[in-house]
Order: sequence, then structure tokens, then C-alpha cells
Amino acid sequence: MHTLKYALIWALMASRAFAAGGAAPADGAWTMPAKDYASTRFSTLDEIKTDNVDKLQVAFTFSMGVARGQEAAPLVDNGTMYLVAPYPNTLYALDLTKPGAPVKWKYEPHPEQASQGVACCDHVTRGAMLWENKVIFNTLDGHTVAVDASDGKELWKTKVGDINSGESTTMAPLVVRGKVLIGNSGGEFGVRGWLIALDANTGKQAWKAYHTGPDSDVLIGADFKPFYDTDKGHDLGVSTWPPDAWKTGGGTAWGWISYDPDLNLIFYGTANPSPWNAEQRPGDNKWTAGIFARNPDTGQARWFYQFSPHDLYDYDSINENLLLDLTIDGKPRKVIARPERNGYLYVIDRASGEVISADPYGVVNSSTGVDLKTGRLQYNDEKKPEVGKVVRNICPTAPGAKDWNPSAFSPRTGLIYIPHMNLCMDWEATPVNYIAGTPFVGADVRMFAGPGGNRGVFTAWDPVARKARWETKEDLPLWSGALATAGDLVFYGTLDGWFKAVDAHDGSLKWQFKTGSGIIGQPVTYRGPDGHQYIAILSGVGGWAGAIVVGKLDPRDKTAAKGMVNAVTDLKDRTTAGGTLYVFALPK
Amino acid sequence: MSSHCRNSGRLLFILCVIVYLCACDREKREYRTAPLPENGPHAETLSALQPGASAPPASDPRGREYENNAYHINQGERLYRWFNCNGCHAAGGGDIGPALMDDQWRYGGNIDQIYATIMDGRPFGMPSFRGKIPDTQAWEIAAYVRALSGNVPKDAAPSRREGMSATPPLSQTPKQPPKNSEQEPPH
Amino acid sequence: MNALQSALAPAADQAQAIDGIWHLMLWICVPMYVLVLIGMAVVILRMRRVAPEFTPATPSDTQISRGLTLWVIVIVAGLIVLTLGSFFVDRRLIPGAQADVNIRITAQQWWWRVEYVSADASQRFMTANELHLPLGKTVHIDLMSGDVIHSFWVPNLSGKRDLIPGRTNTIELTPRQLGTFRGQCAEFCGLQHAKMAMLVFVDNENDFKAWWQRQVQARNELPSDVAKQGEQLFVSSTCAMCHTVRGTTAGSLAGPDLTHLASRHTLAAGALPLNAGSLAAWLADPQQQKPGTNMPTIDLEPDQLNALVAYLLSLK
Repeated sequence: MHTLKYALIWALMASRAFAAGGAAPADGAWTMPAKDYASTRFSTLDEIKTDNVDKLQVAFTFSMGVARGQEAAPLVDNGTMYLVAPYPNTLYALDLTKPGAPVKWKYEPHPEQASQGVACCDHVTRGAMLWENKVIFNTLDGHTVAVDASDGKELWKTKVGDINSGESTTMAPLVVRGKVLIGNSGGEFGVRGWLIALDANTGKQAWKAYHTGPDSDVLIGADFKPFYDTDKGHDLGVSTWPPDAWKTGGGTAWGWISYDPDLNLIFYGTANPSPWNAEQRPGDNKWTAGIFARNPDTGQARWFYQFSPHDLYDYDSINENLLLDLTIDGKPRKVIARPERNGYLYVIDRASGEVISADPYGVVNSSTGVDLKTGRLQYNDEKKPEVGKVVRNICPTAPGAKDWNPSAFSPRTGLIYIPHMNLCMDWEATPVNYIAGTPFVGADVRMFAGPGGNRGVFTAWDPVARKARWETKEDLPLWSGALATAGDLVFYGTLDGWFKAVDAHDGSLKWQFKTGSGIIGQPVTYRGPDGHQYIAILSGVGGWAGAIVVGKLDPRDKTAAKGMVNAVTDLKDRTTAGGTLYVFALPK
Repeated sequence: MSSHCRNSGRLLFILCVIVYLCACDREKREYRTAPLPENGPHAETLSALQPGASAPPASDPRGREYENNAYHINQGERLYRWFNCNGCHAAGGGDIGPALMDDQWRYGGNIDQIYATIMDGRPFGMPSFRGKIPDTQAWEIAAYVRALSGNVPKDAAPSRREGMSATPPLSQTPKQPPKNSEQEPPH
Repeated sequence: MNALQSALAPAADQAQAIDGIWHLMLWICVPMYVLVLIGMAVVILRMRRVAPEFTPATPSDTQISRGLTLWVIVIVAGLIVLTLGSFFVDRRLIPGAQADVNIRITAQQWWWRVEYVSADASQRFMTANELHLPLGKTVHIDLMSGDVIHSFWVPNLSGKRDLIPGRTNTIELTPRQLGTFRGQCAEFCGLQHAKMAMLVFVDNENDFKAWWQRQVQARNELPSDVAKQGEQLFVSSTCAMCHTVRGTTAGSLAGPDLTHLASRHTLAAGALPLNAGSLAAWLADPQQQKPGTNMPTIDLEPDQLNALVAYLLSLK
């Protein structure tokens, strides 16, 4: 009965996803990091399943040439695999039709060296997007590049960000109806967040929507119909800030974008307000730490909801939005399911922006809940940071109950698979000066394991029943994405390099493999030119969680890497820097 | 008995004088150094290899003055936060930028080299603060950075850290002389 | 102007209360003092007249004891009146629950960071070393310190209150008289403690509102090319490392907010009057004007100095 219900939903969803993709790629392809516009990271391939996964073995490997954090998703189409390395962002095309998948071509964008100094959390990239025989990706120094997928020739290159103001670009672009959507990174540098749309054929700017400032800059017009009253009003992006603070107010968009072709809306979250020290920016700080629904053609906003008004703890709201069609209270609802950094799993009506439910999926004491009438997060006054005061034991931490690393949804089980963390922190707000191009943070933070002592958790969440179905404790924080397949398997990796396959129904470990370095990447699966299913993952520790290893940071300073080092002091002894693609398949 | 008293009294007096004299130098404050030309120690080399007979490295005498002076190191600590050095290097443990409290130095760990790194910037993300941070303040920051790895005299290093006290007081930091370091870049 | 900094010219309810207790003390203590002196004089003179040998004053014992009792009663009554008076004055100085205007002051070595607080975030702003208060309104000032202990003292308005690192004290002021008053740091806080002053302007409500509206604005349009050159220099050089001018990229809070510098009356926390000459002197060599200040001496060519002065004086 249960399976039947979800099978139906899945069929609906799948049809939408493919209809949206234009010339629908065979399901064996993987053309965008989230697999589909609904961001499910679910593949219908089922050759590898629970009863044969233990035979999985390495098919081939490839060195990325950079021993830095590998957060990107490998992309596959037309017998070719496309890989983007962290800075210097070399793009490799591997020929899957030949044995050992040799390099077909490579493209070197030569980004500015100095851009490494404005990348808050390692020199990562979260991948590329394949669209109409183009590979489109961002370089760390604020450029978007389109490369011909057949021969690696540069088609266009557009400068979208300025490193001298602290901007970088780390996200994977998303192409929707011929528009390349890119947001900036740099919320720790006091940049002003935006999302830009470039014409996918020419690289020319179509529109640009800022996330602070007057309505005309935010592209808020007559179509804007937010659900909650607090988001209604004129120029809230100015009036919810101290004078001029919105100009350095953050609200970047470095995470994930989803797209619903029926509503013709894109959904994406905005990051933390700058600086972290909230005393320097009284007010609700719109439109940071919230989610926008926009028309992809014009950029005009449809609705907005703020997860963390006047964010106190760097709870960026850039996490993935899974577009699901669920039956809630007997009614079919088109929703966004979203494991948010502030620790709640939100289920939001994606047409109206109404919060249907918000339940903690990890340990939360920084707030007491979400008021579903007003939609407002209820902060816990006891944990409110103040300048000159160390507030202890705040959960979740600055990287949130879950950071950028995306979850997956399997329509076969109806569960969302969330790789996340179980950390708490001490926080001292400090006065901070805005000096363009230097960090604008204003908080001394040290993080440590949350209740139970395990620093990571892998949770299978039922968004209808609003509870966790099963949980697996992991010693280290989880910083890798998840992948769900029709073989009822879920894949994820750990910071010390284990790549795991677990049963989608009960979380039991079915297979694991120790890769060369810690895993913070996004697993994908594809059907090779030989017709068989492959699983691919990049291994290479880094990012915020792995900064202690790649940055050779000193754990004697508990505030190193904004406090993350203190939570993973043992990581240096458990893994080393690396950068290798691993591809697995069943033996032939 | 009384001679013992007299002796210890004399000893105490001598000690006081010594402490007093030491203290003079330790906190000597020069608020108004003559405006210095903004051309610090450019003679600094980054390579241990020199063609021909090697000449002793030229070092700027100002460096020694700053790193032996408690007032300047303290000012350096304040400026390190004011100018957001902590944003990239945390309290010395590192973040976007490398750790400063260990013995690894990509561009050299003596005060002249640190001064040059602040002023000139380095290609992998360290901004150049020339024209932004005045000469005297750059020396003060460099002196504080030296203190982070215990490379200043113990009596000049701050004996207390403000705030969350992430690390022990700098006067208790073990001295970690710069070692031969593996070089950037990691890619 | 004699009353610029004087506890004897109260211009606010709080200073009035303190002035009241001061006068009460004066009028109780002076007569007591005079009575003591008279008593002493009488004793001394009488001792001269009587014979040198000692004669116990037995007959007038009751008279003396009555006199002494009366004297003790007078002392006790006086002390009770003084204690009660100071108790009630102290109570009047406790900040109430409600205030019409909320201000935060953070003391720094050696200047005052002043932030006007409003429930509407977009109406907040920062300034330095100058307070504007509306006549007859209750003002709460939260007092904090960014480094060492300082003390806030505007004698015409109220008593002293310390600014202590790590905690927030609050002082209430209800000004009742238009005018300008001088305040001074009243707790030794380092070398330039003496040059850590502030000016307090008590305005009528309309002037106060107009002033607030002006302060909330970003910096005004620059009047001249020289001023524009000055701004270019300001944002691209050392200045922007420590100062804020809203409307430009300079946004550092290490030093005073200069967005409306020219609307202020003094420089360097009351150390210098604000005019072109003193501003140029200050920029050219702050360490001569205020040795030890955190404002560094930097190399400036004469035309750069002129441009900076023109720029800063245009920030009305």
C-alpha cells in the first residue's frame, strides 16, 4: 500500500523531471549535480541493488591533480564524464567508451590566484551543468564559463563577481529555460548577495536579483505575493537593516536551485547576513537566510520565506530544496522539503510559500520551534549571542545541523536521506570592521560533538509522518552528499574516506570501500556505454570540515577555521589531502 | 638576624632596581616615530639558494626593536583584530590563511619577512596592505605574529589573552623557531 | 558658558536632584560646622578667664547633660535627614522602565562611540563624542566599554557612571534646559584620559528630530572636485581601515564614524575645535596633538592633506 502510493508519486515526479529537461536524457545520464530539477538525487537505475552491492568493485580511478576539497558531482552524458577540479578549476572530459576512461580533453580556465584568499572554506567548486552540448561551470574568481562538450573549446566566459570585494563563485550553475543561474559566495566577506541569469548561448546577462536593498534591485514587483505578513511591505531589504548596512549585508546564494516547470518557478535559498555578529545589524535583515521563488525568465520574485530572521548563528539558508508531491492530511500537496541549517526540516507549499510543518531533525537548542501561524522561528533567548559574552553550548553550530551537502529522496521509500552533523558550539560575538576584501565575521566560535558524542548522523526522514524512520550515527561530521537509487540503496561518504552503501529501508550497511582521502563530494550513478550501472564519487578531503587537513591548521587554536577545527582535531591523523575520482561497478 | 634583614633588604632593593630598569625597556612607548618611508625590508629573499658567494642576509634594525617590546606587541594584537587578520588566520590556528602559531612558514618566519608578507601580499590569497596599513602598525602586527609562535622574549609577550581564550597566554607559548617548510602551492 | 561643565548649574532632573542633596548637605552641614566652631571658641575663651586650677563643675551638671543631649539629637536628626535625602535622590537616579530615546555609548581609548538606537533598525545611526538630547524627554544611555574602565560624567545633567568592559550600565537623563554641556571621562583610563571629553547638546524636539533625520542619511553629495579627490584618497588608503563614511565602501568601526563629521563641533574627543586648521594639524600628525592615540601618523603630501581636509569638512 505504502509503496504503491509512493510509486504513483514517483511516476508523476519522474515524468515532470524529464519533461522539464528538454531533450530528455536517457536515465543513465547525470547532467546536473542534483540529477533533476526537483533535486531528488534519485536514479531509476537498479542493476546494483541490496543483494549484489557487496560485489561492487573499482572500475577505474582518475587523479584530479589537486589535493583540495572535492565537493563536485561528476557529470555523465553521451559516453563522456565531465569533472571540475577545485581551484584552479580544470575541467576534464573522460572518454567512457574506452577502457580505463582516458582523458578526452581538458580545459584550463586559469582563474586569478588571489581568489584563494577570498574563498571562505577551501577552494571548492560544487560542479558543472550540462546543457545542450555545453559544459557550464564557475571558476573560483567569479567567472562563468561555457565549454563545448565535444571538444573542450571555450564558447563564452563572463565575469560575474569581483574578488576584490570578497566575491567568489563556488556553486554549480543551473540552466533553466536557456538561462544560466549563478549566485555569489562571500557571506564571510560582507559582499552583497545576488543571483544572476546569463543567456546560456551567449553568456550575456539577462537579469540580476540582489538579496538586500531596494525592491527594484531585488526584483520584487507586482507578482510578489509572500505568504506571511512580515515579508510584505515596501523596500524591506532596506528598512530591516541599519542605514546602509544592507550594502555589506551578505545574503549570497552559493547553494542549490530547484525548478518546477509547472509553476515555472525556481526556488533557492539566500545565505547568512553579514557580519556574523548580529549586534552590528539589528533588524530582520531581509532578504537573507530565506528562500525565494522566482520566475526564471524575468527574475521577478513570487514569494519569499525567511527561515532565520535576523540570523544569530550563521544559519545560511542555501540548502537544497527537494520538490516533492506528497499527500499530507489526505490532500495532495506540491511541496518543498528542506533540511535547513537551523535544524528544522521544513515542508513548504511551493506555490504559496506557506510552511506546512517544521520539525527538528537534529539537536536544536538555539530556538524552541517555528510558529506555524506567523512562520517565525522562535529563538531561545538564553542562547542569544552578545558582544563580550561567551554563550556556551549552542546547537546546531554555524555550519548548521546540515550544511550544503545535499540530501536525496527515494520515491520508492518516501524517505529523505540526510547526511548531517551533530555538533554544538560556544560563541562569542566580537566587534568587527568592514574592510572590503577582508573577512567580515565578528564571532569567535569553537565547536564540539553534540549529545551522544557522535559528530555525524545519517538520517532517513519521513516528511509525511514528520519523523525520522532510522538513523545511523557516524563518528565524524558528514560533509558528503547522498545518492538514492532504485536498487533501494543509498550512498554517502565519510570525512575519513569510507564510501558506504546502505539499505534504503533500514540503513543497514551493505558495502563500504575505503578511498584515498576523506569524502566531501556528491555521489552519482550512471549507465555506462556498455549498458551497465556505475557509481562515481570524488574523494578528497577539504571544505570547511576538512580545512584542518588541507589548510594544515593548528588544532591548539580552538577557534581555527571558525571553530570547526576544534570539532575534528583527530582528522589530521585519520586522513590526508587527496583528489581522486573513484568509479565502481559490478564485476562483469 | 639583623644582618640577615639588612642583606635581604639590600637584595630587594637591587631586585627592584633591576625590575624597574627592565620594565623601562619592555614597555617603551614611541608614539611619534618620524614618518617612515614606506619601503620596508625589500632585501628579504625567499630562497635559500644564491648564485655566487652568499652574502649575509640584510635585516632591518627596526624589526628587533618591535619584537622585543611589549607595548608594540600589544598594539599588534589589537590591530590584528582591527584589520581582520583573525578573519583568515583565526587566533593563530589559521582558517582561509595558514596557521601562524606553528613553525611552518611559506614565506619565511623572521620579522622582516612577515613584515614583507603583510606589505607586499603573497600570490595565493594574502592581500597586500601597502598603503593601507602604516609602516609602524605593520611592524607591530608582525611582532605580534612572531609572538604567536613564541618567537619573542617571554617578558615582552602578552601574558593574558582577551575573550574566549582559545589558546594559552602567549608568554606560555613554547618557542617554535621557523623550520624548513614544504612550500605552497598545494595544487 | 561658565555653566558649560558644572554640577552647580543643573540642567536635567537628575542633576537637579543631585543639586538638591548638595544644597541640603550644605544647609545642614554649614550650620553644624558653625555651631561646632562657636562651641569651640566659647570653650577656649572661657578657659582663659577661669582660674588655672581645676574645679569640677558640679552645680551645672544637669545643664551640661541637657545641652549635650540636645546636641546629639541635632546631630542624629541631621544625619537622618541627610541619609533619607540621599536615599531618595539615589532612587530618583535609577533608570525607569520606559525611555523616549535610547542611546548606547561605548567608551574607547580615548573617545566615545555613540549609537542612537531605534526599534526601527533603519533609523539607527552612529556618531562620536557628541550627544544630542531632546528637551524634557527621558533618555536612557547604555554604557559599555571597548577596552578599559571609563566613567561617563556630564555634571550639568547627572552624576558619574562607569563604563566597564563586559557589562552594561545604564544612566537616565531628563534634560530640562536648552544648551550645550561638556562631559568628561571621570575614571583614569590611560595616557589621554584628560583629552576624552564630549559635548552634549540639549535641543528642542523639532531640532532634535531634524538632527536625527540628518544623521541617518548617508554622506551628502560632495561639493567640489577637491572633496571628491579627498574621498578617493580616503577610501583607498589608511583612513578606510578604521573609519566609516556611509555611502562609501569605508565601513570600519575601529575609529569614529565620520559620515557627518562636519556637523560636529570638536575633533579627537574634544581635544581640538573642528575647523580646517585644526583638522589639518590633526591629520598631519595626530601623535603630536594627542600622543598615544590610536590614530597613526601617516605620510601625506600637502595636496593630499588639503583634499582630505576639504572632503572631511564637506561631510555635513
